[in-house]
Amino acid sequence: MENGLENITRRHVFRSLSYTVLFSTVIALVLTGIKFGGGFVDNFIISQCIGISICSLALTGLYLFKPANPLFVLVLVMIAIITGTVVGWTLGSIALGLSISLFEQRFIPVMILGIMFGSIISFFFSYRERISGAEALIQEERIKRLANEKEMAETSLRLLQAQIEPHFLFNTLSNILSLLDTDLERGKSMLADFIHYLRTALPKTRGKATTIGQEMEMIHAYLNIFKVRMGDRLRYRLDIPEGMKDLPFPPMLLQPLVENAIRHGLEPKIGGGELVIRGHNKRDVTRLEVCDTGSGLNEHDSSGIGLSNIRERLQSLYGNKGRLILEENRPSGLKATIEVPHDTD
Amino acid sequence: MTQTKAIIADDEEQLRIHLKSQLSDLWPELIICGEAENGKEALELIENYRPDVAFLDIKMPGLSGMEVAKRIARICRVVFITAYDKYAVEAFDNEAIDYLLKPVTLDRLKKAVKRLQRQIAASSKPPSDLSEIVERAIASLYKKGTSGYLRWIRAQHGDGVRLIPVDDVYYFQASDKYTLVLTKEEELLIKKAIKELDDELDPSQFWRIHRGTIVNAHCITQVSRSLTGRGVVKLKDRPELLTVSRRYIHTFRQM
Repeated sequence: MENGLENITRRHVFRSLSYTVLFSTVIALVLTGIKFGGGFVDNFIISQCIGISICSLALTGLYLFKPANPLFVLVLVMIAIITGTVVGWTLGSIALGLSISLFEQRFIPVMILGIMFGSIISFFFSYRERISGAEALIQEERIKRLANEKEMAETSLRLLQAQIEPHFLFNTLSNILSLLDTDLERGKSMLADFIHYLRTALPKTRGKATTIGQEMEMIHAYLNIFKVRMGDRLRYRLDIPEGMKDLPFPPMLLQPLVENAIRHGLEPKIGGGELVIRGHNKRDVTRLEVCDTGSGLNEHDSSGIGLSNIRERLQSLYGNKGRLILEENRPSGLKATIEVPHDTD
Repeated sequence: MTQTKAIIADDEEQLRIHLKSQLSDLWPELIICGEAENGKEALELIENYRPDVAFLDIKMPGLSGMEVAKRIARICRVVFITAYDKYAVEAFDNEAIDYLLKPVTLDRLKKAVKRLQRQIAASSKPPSDLSEIVERAIASLYKKGTSGYLRWIRAQHGDGVRLIPVDDVYYFQASDKYTLVLTKEEELLIKKAIKELDDELDPSQFWRIHRGTIVNAHCITQVSRSLTGRGVVKLKDRPELLTVSRRYIHTFRQM
């Protein structure tokens, strides 16, 4: 892949042949200048035939064998030069109506010139190829870096924008407002839950590192709010082993999955349903599952920026070791699993 | 004067209780003849009681408030209640329909009540062009939602069913009766044929490049032409090169 030989394109072939014709013309002129051979027309035709033969043979060889080893390339090109000189000289002689005998004395200087010029031109081609290859590599790197930077900027922007969903904000405030008239104590506790949630959800008030335990407390507050709003339609259970609660975990990574489960799974379902968050601590991965028995996913539903956001964050935090997996839950609803490696900070 | 009747539909009980108590302060003569916690119940209540006014939450399970309104346009007046729906609010900026934003303040509710009382006193019939307005509002709401194209791939995996967003798929490759779905690091087999996928996927993102291949255009890094005239597609993060057959090479010529 590095040597770029796999991608011999039409443009490539055309360019090589044009250069060859140009060089052959120059060689014919030089040879005529030093009074070698039988005049310019003879020199021109023989030189073109040899040049084009060498070039065609070299390209064909490279295309057929796709050599990766530079030594193999060298051998291939040398064979092309020798064979090409013989074939080209023979063709040129036929075209000019000259006798063709390889043992003729005339042939020896032609062979020497063919090898000499063939080597120089081949060196020129390989040099050019290497430079354009290096340039392409640099260009590719630059594009990659720019794309990366752009992606990072977009992710952080989306993160900032997608913190608090307006529906959630206003519906919660409506509930609190109404509870102030009817059930002051419940109103107060809902407000306390809401404040707890906001502390983590707002990027400016949130600490950089959190633990699974802290995230679960926040999610608990979030679910309490929905419990007031949805009543019997929401049942939930948090099932996290004690030992997992002190493990570090990025803030607001799990919450969007809980939000999705409620917003797209349970809230739209007439009877509501159950939400379960489960933690598994395996030898080298921490796994958290959010399962709901809601209305599930339609194949035509939009994929939403929430999930791609989580994927991007997992990618930037853990590389290929962090995963988000979505599955159908049985008998209904959705199961979302986040896996992160154990001992990485 | 006959008594005015109303129903309230909202999936959140607390908000129904609150609206009811606010209304009883502002409009003591109003009779709340029923409360619904989803669209279907609201429709049944309206058909049974034939109220003059329906207070409908827009986002409800089953049928949304808008869909309910569409069906009962000629029966009663509608006041929508919504937490936040930019599109809906734009669509309702019309005398025929009133809307309340959550949290509903007493002042705003007072205005809505005055307006309802005036309309009911002036004519006994609700505006008949209501359904058309609601229709438009629903259309504008759905515009931003689903596009109708396939957004998720369901694939059997172990003993469960995995869901993969189509954006994560690099390409689809036909394999006998099945189709191979290739993402950045996974390969899954699905039962859907490549032809079906071609019909269901968004053609601006997923390009058929071969009888057996559909590629995600967002994952292409390079397209070159081989000596034999076929196209060769290079993907990001995946080593393999895909072949573009002559039949589909025009996709790239247009670029």
